[in-house]
Amino acid sequence: MGFLQDLFFNINNYITEETLQLIFKLGLIVAISLPLLFLLRGWARRFFTKKYAPHYGMLAGKLVFYPGILIMIFTIMSQLGISLAPLLGAAGIVGVALGFASQTSVSNIISGLFLIAEQPFKVDDIITINNTTGIVMSIDGLSVKLRTFDNQFVRIPNEMIIKTEVTNVTRFPIRRFNARVSVAYKEDIGRVRQILMDIAEKNEYALSEPEPLIIFDAFGTSSIDLLFLVWAPVKEYIMLKNTIQEEVKARFDEEGIEIPFPHVSIYAGSASKALPIEMKSADQAESESGHSPQP
Amino acid sequence: MAREIWGNVSLEDGKVHYFAMGELHCWMKYHHEEIWIAHCHNHEVKQKPNSEAPPEEIEWQRWATQNGKGHVNILPVFPDLPLVVNSEYALKISPGTRIQIFCRFPIWVRIRLPETTYTLIEMPTIKLSRTWFGTPTEGELCYFAKTKARRDLSNVDKRPNMVACPIRVVNKSGDELNFEHFCFRVERLSMYRNEEGFWADETQIIYQGEDLNSDVIMTGNLPKGITKKDLVSRPRKEIHKSLATRTFKRFFEDTSLIFGR
Repeated sequence: MGFLQDLFFNINNYITEETLQLIFKLGLIVAISLPLLFLLRGWARRFFTKKYAPHYGMLAGKLVFYPGILIMIFTIMSQLGISLAPLLGAAGIVGVALGFASQTSVSNIISGLFLIAEQPFKVDDIITINNTTGIVMSIDGLSVKLRTFDNQFVRIPNEMIIKTEVTNVTRFPIRRFNARVSVAYKEDIGRVRQILMDIAEKNEYALSEPEPLIIFDAFGTSSIDLLFLVWAPVKEYIMLKNTIQEEVKARFDEEGIEIPFPHVSIYAGSASKALPIEMKSADQAESESGHSPQP
Repeated sequence: MAREIWGNVSLEDGKVHYFAMGELHCWMKYHHEEIWIAHCHNHEVKQKPNSEAPPEEIEWQRWATQNGKGHVNILPVFPDLPLVVNSEYALKISPGTRIQIFCRFPIWVRIRLPETTYTLIEMPTIKLSRTWFGTPTEGELCYFAKTKARRDLSNVDKRPNMVACPIRVVNKSGDELNFEHFCFRVERLSMYRNEEGFWADETQIIYQGEDLNSDVIMTGNLPKGITKKDLVSRPRKEIHKSLATRTFKRFFEDTSLIFGR
């Protein structure tokens, strides 16, 4: 008990009433500001997400939270009597140095602002940049974060996105699948068309409108090449791609329509005659040539 | 057979209750305090379905219900998406003309719990393909249906799985209306039943011209011989008195469709 009394007496010598008041004030500032900032961040995020899109919500939350933290820090510093003037002076010098060092970052930030204004994509869209395809997780000040379909995390600087071609796969609600269908030259193209249209009509993912389209693409070296164009809701594109090609294969097999392998025909002399080929046994070949057959 | 399907059904433990409507085949049973339902359509199975049990490739679905009883209610409903209706025979309606046509569409079957009206499952009696109503950049998913757009159904064969929808079309524009394609918002219709079959209440479409939205009015008028007492199912969505929609919107003007790229 005596020890506690001594300790209290010793503390009283160092901590005056004013200091206690200051600590209390600072504690109050933090206790009020922090929960308030979290509340405001949550509200801003929900409001802008509901009104616009998830990535606007994220940005709004950050715009509310981080400046709020700065204001809280400056308030605490002014309560502590720390003047901001020398800090600002030092910041100016540091700013110049940082400016040279952070050109890329500043470029990314400005590119980010242009991305927000232009809205080429939003959070949860699927985009392709160069060879990377993924779902947009967030659009931040410096970069865009993607999650690829094999669950890898990709960070793409905003500057790169502004400079590169970006494909937004899920921007529009429907998407067309372009299937290349090759058939042998001997096949009746009219019949093939009917069969393909029938397949499209029966496929559960293919839309009736826009109508499927079959285009005679080319007289290929080994086959007649057709383009089979079918539309589906964008979320069912992969299902359409998988099922319709399988159905084409199965139906062609059923109808006896040949999907040719790449092949070359060699003619000897006359264009209408094939090369003559005669099958001989090893003994026959030996007796005719007078040599032993090679192993 | 059709009349016996509708209404409350008590499923006996282990015994399969079967019904067929249109191309739909449905099996139900009550087993281990669960309601089991399996269904298929004609084209989905290789062999003709029988009433004893579903084909092997068809799976049962199970519901554990709150009251633990095998009571279900079966009722007819409209499809869950709007219909893009394609008239088999092109019908041109001259300016200032007002006509009534009848279109028939396959109904859906809803199986629900009678006490809570919680829906267990909905199945089409005929599976319709889906289509897009709108432009490549915006629109809505619909079912695709063909109709003969008859002026009179009295000499037409009755089909228990079809609902007849009277549509009054008024061409108030100065142009001819090419009644080939239109988007029919069946989710706003009520369904009635009499000895003739299923009927919807009247829809009035007022065409104002190609550049203006058409007025779609659920007049609430019932066909002859139908009264309010014949109501079997309410609309899926609340009825608005008038709904200006792009009912006759031109579907596509995408040049990529012309040039195939």
